[in-house]
Amino acid sequence: MGLMAQFMVWFDDRFPATKVWNEHLAQYYAPKNFNFWYFFGSLAMLVLVNQILTGIWLTMNYTPTAEGAFASIEFIRRDVQWGHLLLGMHATGASAFFVVVYLHMFRGLLYGSFRKPRELVWIFGMIIFVLLMAEGFMGYLLPWGNMSYWGAQVIINLFSAVPVVGEDLAVWIRGDFIISGATLNRFFALHVVALPMALLLMVFLHIVALHKVGSNNPDGIDIKKLKDEKGIPLDGIPFHPYYTVKDIVGVGVFLFIFCMIIFYNPQMGGYFLEAPNFTPADPLKTPEHIAPVWYFTPYYSILKAVPNQGLGVIAMAASLVILFFLPWLDRSPVLSIRYKSSIYKWALMIFVACFFILGYLGMKAPNEMRTLVARICTVYYFAFFIGMPWWSQWGTTKPVPTRVTH
Amino acid sequence: MKQLLKISLLTLASLSFNAFASGSGDILPNDEMPYYSGDRLTVSMQKGMQIYMNNCMGCHSLQFQRYNRSAKDLDISEDLMINNLMFTGEKIGDLMTNNMPAAAAEKWFGTAPPDLSLIARSRDPHWLYNYLRGFYADDNRPYGVNNTVFKDVGMPHALGALQGVQDKTEQVKGLENDIDYAHGDIASAREKLNKGGNSRELDKIIADAERLIHEKEIQLVELSTKGEYFTLITEGELSAAEFDLAMADLVNFLEYIGEPIKRERKDMGLWVLMFIAFFTVVAYFLKKEYWKDVH
Repeated sequence: MGLMAQFMVWFDDRFPATKVWNEHLAQYYAPKNFNFWYFFGSLAMLVLVNQILTGIWLTMNYTPTAEGAFASIEFIRRDVQWGHLLLGMHATGASAFFVVVYLHMFRGLLYGSFRKPRELVWIFGMIIFVLLMAEGFMGYLLPWGNMSYWGAQVIINLFSAVPVVGEDLAVWIRGDFIISGATLNRFFALHVVALPMALLLMVFLHIVALHKVGSNNPDGIDIKKLKDEKGIPLDGIPFHPYYTVKDIVGVGVFLFIFCMIIFYNPQMGGYFLEAPNFTPADPLKTPEHIAPVWYFTPYYSILKAVPNQGLGVIAMAASLVILFFLPWLDRSPVLSIRYKSSIYKWALMIFVACFFILGYLGMKAPNEMRTLVARICTVYYFAFFIGMPWWSQWGTTKPVPTRVTH
Repeated sequence: MKQLLKISLLTLASLSFNAFASGSGDILPNDEMPYYSGDRLTVSMQKGMQIYMNNCMGCHSLQFQRYNRSAKDLDISEDLMINNLMFTGEKIGDLMTNNMPAAAAEKWFGTAPPDLSLIARSRDPHWLYNYLRGFYADDNRPYGVNNTVFKDVGMPHALGALQGVQDKTEQVKGLENDIDYAHGDIASAREKLNKGGNSRELDKIIADAERLIHEKEIQLVELSTKGEYFTLITEGELSAAEFDLAMADLVNFLEYIGEPIKRERKDMGLWVLMFIAFFTVVAYFLKKEYWKDVH
């Protein structure tokens, strides 16, 4: 036995290294028909690692005080070696995170990946999504630009719409009567310590739950039903090396687009980095038009679409909460959109259109027409989910094959 | 399914088109700045810095930028910088601050002159270029000038010695008068409407006035593109064409100050993208090799 093999035996006697490797990579059998949509899970992990690493290095030079925050960002951009790149990777990474996570979630909608037995995978994923929103929201305050300030102001003020305890709740969140250094300090603590830890834990649970039940696939077929004599699914291939090498290709394509933005258009026309955020936070000067960053705008639109602010806050919260129940809302006899009825396809397509329209309207100043459109889309958003137990059963589904199409 | 993908991609494309179609806005004048690149841009930035240090720095600091960084990036030797562009005995590694007392400045101008390190990022270069060329004589303002791009700005015409003093041309004044009257018509018609006047008649007045405003505004834009928006009433040290070039230099300098790494990051990006492209091709063939035995 070679030295390395001897060492592995010694190590495995004390820690299940080889066992874990096999169970989760080398002998974890994934369906062989993963397509384009299946890149975004591993890409989300890549972006998470990017955010954590660049975040650690940014923290080394960032000053979490109202007096020093804005200047320290410029210090990082100008005086810290490669600081401009750290900032670019972290800021673009935030938007990229939401892009890949939205696509990852959409994959779930397409192929019914949230359906039995993957309910917990979906719920853990939803918790990750909510944590990610909190992480993004708190991170956005840290540059202490004027949009950071007023964006946070608007969102935290929403909590004061809660009956009875609202005002106290808003003060409790801010740690002050207005957004101040105290708010910045606590957001910093949550952004760099508490939320990343929670995120990592939830990502771990998300993957453990996934590996317990196995991955779904574009056909929505349970590959474990047909196994060979060794107990290996006929349509399964080991995750490593097949999907590791495949995901690396996805990583390459992703990084190409990601770097194109970082190096050539980091502001993305004002949607990734907003122009007012290049002026320091000023409690006396409201930016002309306050809009949240693009990844929050669909929900912000829903909030604004409701005429009453208190109810608007509830609607916004409900638009997220309702997603948690998705596994029990979809009653279609088949999982994948490939075999679902055309009613389902249209309903989903219109839903996607509504989501984009809401997102777009959330960035724009409201007017009569826009509010009307936002209301229609909001009604559809909720009707889509609330009506799903019924309409998902309508129409005729196509027969599902026994083996995956590859 | 393919259809779905196509539609979602199309939506995405139209959305990103929107994202890029930002910028300019409705400012007058709305002239394009001359475009430079390479060494010509460096020279322009150097000249811009010269203008800035001599005319702007007294009031507007560049507090996040260091002298030696500017020297290095703009190809100015440190000696040249110390002897010609630094006036109050700072060290070459210092931040480019000034000694303007903020409280007093607020009294003088109504608001303290802002630091301009990031002005080209919070306002875009196109806006700055037209703002700097938009000062005109206005006796109603404390410093005798107003600005077409930034109405009632607190800043005096600091570059008046270079540009001279300009006024709006008679045509522009005439058009603006017409627009003011039309706005007046709309306001009075709206008031009558609220009091229950003849809605058909009043709606027509409003629609006509709005059409008129729209037409006159188009004429204003035409005048601006023809360069007939302003006329010089007092000559400055520079000709109009020279002043425009000087302002382009100044804006190029401010754009540099806004993000010193900007030019370098674009050069760097090319190498990074080339590497990633190569890496992806290799990864693709590796994948193909491994997947040969998957049927």
